Amino acid sequence: MSNLVVPRRSLLVGTAALAVAPATAFATNSPDLGKPAPGFTVVDSNGKSWSLTDLKGKVVVLETTNHDCPYVRKHYNARNMQTQQREAAAKGVVWLTLASSATGEQGYVTAQQANDLTRSRDAQPAAVLLDPKSQVARAYGATVTPHMYIIDANGMLVYKGGIDSIPSADVADIPKAKQYVRIGLDEVLTGKPVTDASTRPYGCTLKYPRTST
Amino acid sequence: MSRLLAFLITALVTVLLAAPTFAQSPTTSVVQTDNVKAELLADVSTVKPGEPFWVALRQTIRPKWHTYWKNPGESGLPTEISWTLPPGAKADPIVWPTPILFEIGGITNYGFKDEATLLVRVTPPADLAGPLKLAADANWLVCEDVCIPEEGKFELTLPSGPTAMPAAPATRTLFEQARHEVPTESPWPARYGVDKTGNPTLQVDAKGLKPDTIGNVYFFPAEWGPVATMAKQAAVIDVAGIRIPLKRGDAKTPLPPLLAGTLVLTEKTGDGTVKQAFDISAKLDPTVATAAVGVTSLAGAVGSEELSLVQALFFALLGGLILNLMPCVFPVLAMKAAAFARLAGHDRAEMRRDGLAYTGGVLVSFAVMAAVVIAIRGAVGDVSWGFQFQSPVFSLLIAYLFFVIGLNLSGVFEVGSRLAGVGQGLTARGGTTGAFFTGVLAVIVATPCTAPFMAAALGFALTQPAPATVAVLLAMGLGLALPYLALALTPALQRLMPRPGAWMDRLRQFLAFPMYASAVWMIWVLTQQTGADGVLYALGGMVLIAFAIWLLRFGSQASAGTWLRRGLAAIAVLLAFAVTLKLEDSPATAASATGDAKGGVNFEGWERFSRARMAEAVAAGRPVFVDFTAAWCITCLVNERVALETPASRKAFEQAGVVKLKGDWTNRDAEISAVLKELGRAGVPVYLYWAPGAEKPKILPQVLTEAMILSELEQAKR
Repeated sequence: MSNLVVPRRSLLVGTAALAVAPATAFATNSPDLGKPAPGFTVVDSNGKSWSLTDLKGKVVVLETTNHDCPYVRKHYNARNMQTQQREAAAKGVVWLTLASSATGEQGYVTAQQANDLTRSRDAQPAAVLLDPKSQVARAYGATVTPHMYIIDANGMLVYKGGIDSIPSADVADIPKAKQYVRIGLDEVLTGKPVTDASTRPYGCTLKYPRTST
Repeated sequence: MSRLLAFLITALVTVLLAAPTFAQSPTTSVVQTDNVKAELLADVSTVKPGEPFWVALRQTIRPKWHTYWKNPGESGLPTEISWTLPPGAKADPIVWPTPILFEIGGITNYGFKDEATLLVRVTPPADLAGPLKLAADANWLVCEDVCIPEEGKFELTLPSGPTAMPAAPATRTLFEQARHEVPTESPWPARYGVDKTGNPTLQVDAKGLKPDTIGNVYFFPAEWGPVATMAKQAAVIDVAGIRIPLKRGDAKTPLPPLLAGTLVLTEKTGDGTVKQAFDISAKLDPTVATAAVGVTSLAGAVGSEELSLVQALFFALLGGLILNLMPCVFPVLAMKAAAFARLAGHDRAEMRRDGLAYTGGVLVSFAVMAAVVIAIRGAVGDVSWGFQFQSPVFSLLIAYLFFVIGLNLSGVFEVGSRLAGVGQGLTARGGTTGAFFTGVLAVIVATPCTAPFMAAALGFALTQPAPATVAVLLAMGLGLALPYLALALTPALQRLMPRPGAWMDRLRQFLAFPMYASAVWMIWVLTQQTGADGVLYALGGMVLIAFAIWLLRFGSQASAGTWLRRGLAAIAVLLAFAVTLKLEDSPATAASATGDAKGGVNFEGWERFSRARMAEAVAAGRPVFVDFTAAWCITCLVNERVALETPASRKAFEQAGVVKLKGDWTNRDAEISAVLKELGRAGVPVYLYWAPGAEKPKILPQVLTEAMILSELEQAKR
């Protein structure tokens, strides 16, 4: 905290909004279940703007991603993520993949790269949102990739946590694990409360913009 | 020529035969990945069937990279080991070293840098014949900015024999170091409670610690879920122990009956700073947070290291405002409100004067308190300033005060009569003086009611320079006076006051009950300090006081009967107060105390230190070990647990015929202080060892290990 000189600090606050107390901000900003999910308006890899308020009436899934993260790769290499994206799409769920790695960090993608990845991985999210300042990730208190969220048709946050129940990098664990997001989506779509609504997220540290530079 | 050939062949064969032994040295197995060199080691070179031994997975981590603790924090994954063992063998869960906290891009993690040694206890089968083969598949996540999952396969083959043989000294040293990194079991009980917002507060009942010697307190929760991973924790250290306000974690399950984790802290000792780590298992105890709802938020804030004075003042002001909601201040406020209602409609200037005088009274009282705090700080070390908050006498007197105020509110006797004390007498005076002393009374009454709260606030104030101490306490006083002051200065608010009437009497009588309840609470506190006898003394004292009041209610004429009654009343009151002497004598009191037996200095197996006794034993040519300790010294406690009082050390002390002397410095002791000064030490722990016939004692390090003690005594034998 040697850089407590006021102009610099306010500058940082103004530009990045995280310089002051990043970690405590996460802890407090981790949104509560059963409360309105934090709103956002973000442009996707095809230049289309997405706003949470426009999605009222639909169930939304948020998936933070970093294609070079071994845990993201685990679920894409095993096609677990793509399969769940397809299932969700078939049920009318809007699945949004969030590329939240900060510019220059591992997992940062341009619009073109994002589209290439979607093609090469045969993924089927409704959109890949570009979040190079990690603003959406921060609003949701995301700490890892993949960090998963489900928002119900009324815009309430009903699930936050991991993709499944076995925190490991081993593909072989996927069939053994409880697929929290799939189960949660089924419950939301049948009007039931989500049983495991908050689970331990696991994966790589989300690559937020550096605070030290 | 053929001889030479024969020699070469023999040499080659020898090398070839020996090669497998070199390639797979029996007590270690190494895996080198991109970012970690991992090694599986055993602390024995030969195992004995059925006898447990230790293995270690030692990670040497690439600089700036990390591996993770059992609870990795906001991201990351712990190292895992899965064992393949022969039937009947058993490997226990990993014993983890104390983690460190690190942050990457604002994400907080628990783990290790540079080096981590994970210990596992392995029990070979009792019917083991031939060598023991251990195979381990370990996987770990190692991260800098990016994370890489890595793994390694390890294999150890250990010969078995009728007795276990220790590993090579270098390996043993590694194990010794690794054990030193493992948290010790907490010497204090711990509890945790939950406030209204669901946030837990951890209370470690380490009574009598010196707040200014302890820093960098952090609680690492053992698992994800109940407690959030926090970048900073604002721990408060006071005479009651260590309190850490925590944040509720993300798990939706109810809070567990036992909250496990590791508490780390640093302690300034006479000779530097020592880091300590304790395994804590805190019982869910609803009284922890409820007793400290207001306290937690305020104290948490003021305990924070980076708190600016402005913030401290703000929180102090807020704290003062909260004091107004404490039940014991109610009666004073009621008195004030009643007086005020009477004043309503009077001259506004008079009201303003009244309000300002009250504020003045409050502020002057707080200023006096600040002066006392500063004065005590000047002498700190000689007295534990928090002593009054733990003193049963204090609890008893406060219980009496509540009781008497309760009786007054119930209408048993009237304020302003000759019975009332000086303070009340003055407050009963009309006008500005009366208002001033009502302010003083408010502080006197509010302070005990909020003893724990004041302890925390004063604890903070103590650590500040004098002007800040005064400013913080005055801000608190201003907060206390503020509602009334605002009322006095704002006619619009005054109009909102209800008219005086019969309700005032009813309210007053009603307010007696919170006072009785407070008295009951104080008596309960007293029993915690003294045991069941406290109830007898306190309630007996109350009967005497009530009796005295009853006696004095009759007439005021100077007749012989009146004098007799007055005499009796005086005797009754004296008796009630004499009870305090009885309490002071009670052994449970331990004024400077320190609290529970677990935390106190334990003399079992030790003689009390005196210079004469030391000189005598040394002159007799006996080995002498001196332990200068104090109940509030954490490092001392840890050393006792891990080095001095282990079965092996006790046995070694006994075998070597060592005279064990213990100097208790919990309360300043002139003799010990003089010895410490001679040794050039400002505090404890200090350990002296006189080898038999030695002219000078050896000063051992402040942080002891069992191995150190054993080797010291071993040398003495020779």
